[in-house]
Amino acid sequence: MVLSRLFASIKVAALVAAFLLHGPLFAAPMESAHDLMSKMAKASRELNYQGLFTYEFRGNLTSVKVAHGVDDGQTYERIHHMDGVQRNVLRRTDNVDCLRTGDMLLRGSAYKINDQSYARLEDFYEFHIKGQGRIANRQVVMVHVLPKDKHRYGYVVAIDKQSGLLLQSVLMSHSGKPLERFQFVDITIGMPFAELGFDLDASDFSSAVLDQSNCIDDNRQITTSASNWSAQWLPPGFVIASHQIADSNGQESIMFTDGLAVFSVFIDSDPGRSLPAIDANLGATVAVLTKADINNQEYAICVVGEIPRATANQIASAISLSPTSSSSISPLP
Amino acid sequence: MSDHKERLEQSLSALMDGEATDIEMHRLLKEVSEDSELRAKWKRYHMVSAAIKGDAATATIDYSAAIAAAIDEEPTHRQSGLAVFAGSAGRFAIAASVALVAVFGVQQLNSPLDSVGETSEFAGVEQVDEENTGPAIQFPSGFQPIINARTVSAGGNNKSSQYVTPVIEVRQQVNRKYSEAELRAYMNDVMAKHSNHAALNSNQGMLPFARLNETEAAAQKE
Repeated sequence: MVLSRLFASIKVAALVAAFLLHGPLFAAPMESAHDLMSKMAKASRELNYQGLFTYEFRGNLTSVKVAHGVDDGQTYERIHHMDGVQRNVLRRTDNVDCLRTGDMLLRGSAYKINDQSYARLEDFYEFHIKGQGRIANRQVVMVHVLPKDKHRYGYVVAIDKQSGLLLQSVLMSHSGKPLERFQFVDITIGMPFAELGFDLDASDFSSAVLDQSNCIDDNRQITTSASNWSAQWLPPGFVIASHQIADSNGQESIMFTDGLAVFSVFIDSDPGRSLPAIDANLGATVAVLTKADINNQEYAICVVGEIPRATANQIASAISLSPTSSSSISPLP
Repeated sequence: MSDHKERLEQSLSALMDGEATDIEMHRLLKEVSEDSELRAKWKRYHMVSAAIKGDAATATIDYSAAIAAAIDEEPTHRQSGLAVFAGSAGRFAIAASVALVAVFGVQQLNSPLDSVGETSEFAGVEQVDEENTGPAIQFPSGFQPIINARTVSAGGNNKSSQYVTPVIEVRQQVNRKYSEAELRAYMNDVMAKHSNHAALNSNQGMLPFARLNETEAAAQKE
């Protein structure tokens, strides 16, 4: 034991010496993983780009053509599925400056859970730069993102060296098996907005889904409408990202993120729906639907996300109706 | 020192590193039972590795000969021909019952449980792709579509769905009736809403949209 400790301290000393002697040489060419992640969060929102990516899971491969543009503070997105039935999704957001919970976490800031506690991405993942590579004919930096607990999955990502865009993302199970793979095969970055052809879709965009998720306020929190529901347990590091009050069908939804992984909780109070308790999965996405009988009213609680099934189960059983109607859905300390 | 021996030693060190292939492993196990020199080497490698890891070096007592002798003395290991046959038949029976359970399990999973009479309605939902009225998806001869092998027949139109739909597993039998169509619609709806929100919060750009399947995309257009 003493010997190994001695070795360890020699190793540290050697590293320190190497750093002192060649520090600038080592540090200059390599960005830190955190800088890369932060750059990535910004790039995917703020750049104009279009390209073709493939998405693969369980032996299925589909390809998708995407375009993303920013004009006059608004973002425009077009998603066109290249296989099977014609499918297009158009989407716009009103405010390119809207910083969301996931953005903020990935940019290295902490989300304020309450006055005492903050959530930080690096408390729950380790980031390792694994050298360089080439994806979609562009130079990329490979980063391994390892979870520090069993409540989230890891990733192998490739980030474009020049722009910071995410060009490849492989979701990895705890045993190291890929669950899904997303990879650009061709991409053009930084063209003028006019070249993206969004003006052709102008009429469609007027009816397109407008994003309603919540932006981070000055207090480094999001303001959500009050909910009667609360989570008695959340996997550590996950904080609220958005909350939609009950729609016309009586469905309320709350979304949580740790900066990389996302899960949604849907609460259905419509007694007309008679759904059984189920487990479902599609690719890397799992869904767990449980039933809760509260005050003679039946509710369906559904947790959907790219998280391990055991975690989804645990969350589903921890969602409960607050005794007082005024309390918020933020996790209990 | 033959080529063969050298290869074996390479395999042995690969095994110690946990990198030996199945073939190497088989060859090693076969050879090690006959080659005492190799056996000794294996033991030495283990001791070295234990010493490096900081484990206390174990005494070098070889139990293998004694154990082999003890096994030979055991009456149950001197079997008659009949016993050998009975043994393998028993094994087959076990294998068969495992297979039965597996087939049964799969059918349980896929059957639209309580919803008698709803099957065609469910199939109908999967068939709503008016735009795709061309020839059924072509596969090169000799290949079978492995994606969602469920074939649906509705109105004499026999075609398998290309798209992967959620695998849904009902946890327990409920007394109340429910329709699988409604269940699928609900699942597709929540998964679509989740993808939509995830696109804004997972920082993976538009990746979450790739997870949408065709019925979800249809819901998006509305």
